[in-house]
Amino acid sequence: MTFQQAAEAHLDDVYGYLAWFTSDRFAAEDLTAVTFERALRLWHRFDPDRGSVRTWLCQVARTVALDHFRSERRRTRREELAAPPEAIDFRFAEGLSPDLESALARLTAGEREVVALRVLLDLDAGAAARILGISPTNCTTRLNRALKKLEEALHVAA
Amino acid sequence: MSQRDLVAELRAAHVEAPPEVRERVRLVAAGAPAPPRRVTWQRALVVVVPAAAAIAATIVFTRPAKQQQQQTVLEANKPVRIQPSAGAATDRAAKAFAVPSPTNRVQKYEATLSLRVEHARDVSDGVKRALRIATSFGGYASSVHAETHGSRAVADLTLRIPRTRIQEAMAKLAQLGTITDENVSTVDQTALLNNTDRKIARLQKQLAKLRAEPKSDGNDRSIAALVKRIETLQRGEATTRRNAHYATVHLHLETPPVTVAQKHGHGPLHGVGVALTWLGIGAVYALAIGVPVAVLLGIVWLCVRIVRRRRENALLQI
Repeated sequence: MTFQQAAEAHLDDVYGYLAWFTSDRFAAEDLTAVTFERALRLWHRFDPDRGSVRTWLCQVARTVALDHFRSERRRTRREELAAPPEAIDFRFAEGLSPDLESALARLTAGEREVVALRVLLDLDAGAAARILGISPTNCTTRLNRALKKLEEALHVAA
Repeated sequence: MSQRDLVAELRAAHVEAPPEVRERVRLVAAGAPAPPRRVTWQRALVVVVPAAAAIAATIVFTRPAKQQQQQTVLEANKPVRIQPSAGAATDRAAKAFAVPSPTNRVQKYEATLSLRVEHARDVSDGVKRALRIATSFGGYASSVHAETHGSRAVADLTLRIPRTRIQEAMAKLAQLGTITDENVSTVDQTALLNNTDRKIARLQKQLAKLRAEPKSDGNDRSIAALVKRIETLQRGEATTRRNAHYATVHLHLETPPVTVAQKHGHGPLHGVGVALTWLGIGAVYALAIGVPVAVLLGIVWLCVRIVRRRRENALLQI
């Protein structure tokens, strides 16, 4: 598989993962482009025997997203002193109910990440765990906690 | 809403990248270089098999020529084994010693022949046969030296054989064993003898002239001196002719050197034992130093991982 083919096939997956992870459409767009730039540089390191292209691209995307979170935290700390951050109106996906949208927005980035990987991208526990750098059991535990939290938020909203 | 419905609704959601992002990624991907060709074993075989075949063919087609060349070289260096029954081999040995010798010229012939025989008793037999050969051609042995130490035996003979029959004698002597060394030298002495003849003739003329003169004490002394000188020259000339009549052959017979296996105080597996001992010592040292270092590195790695995970969790607010 060439890089062009990989990019074409998994662009939506990477974008969706980053969008849910960051819950910021503009940031997700930028990070998606950065992810594919970095992936192009590292393409020679990709080994198909060690995992699928999608898993590898999500690993690259996660590194990019974590760098983004770190820089955002530093920026927010500086800017919070001057002015409180504005709430961004973000829609996670087409076809989701407003209650589910608001419940997803209440999740932490780590919880949204595991939901995106296991539910949105439909990765198995092993692949998702490899991306997160944790054990498959831990990954499943995180997912259950996130889903429970979503369920509770929906009950409250109902 | 149950958790199953919740997952179903989430899975039904579809996220699509905006066209701007798609275009940006397409531009990024357009700059991707052509994928490098991966070396698989099938591809490697496609190259290796013809290359191996070519090398094998080269070896097969070039080796006979090399062997032939080597064989020629080996034959040139190989000592000539002359079998008593092999007529062709005898002829070859005879040709090897053949030095053109015109009968009307006086030449000094000297040869050295080193032969190897298998057993000590062959040396003894060889000495006897060499003496018989020398006498059968009208020659004699001027010196014989033979010694035996167990299975090792050496004999050195100096034979004087008439010059006219030296080639036959050498061919027969060569049959006594395997030739390991041979050396033939011929020095022509005709010019020297002619010179001496001229000198004698001149002195005899002087002598005749002195004898024709009236007798006196001085004249008698001169005649006596001339006679003495002429006699000396004539004796020297006779000695040279006599020496040239006989060729000198230095014959060396010996058994192969006995190779004594050096005895060591240890068995054949002693080296393996020593190596294993040192390997064991090395392993103990490696364990003594390596294990604490490995444990320390493991602890450091674990600490780094924990700190990193905590920071990451804090960043993602898990």
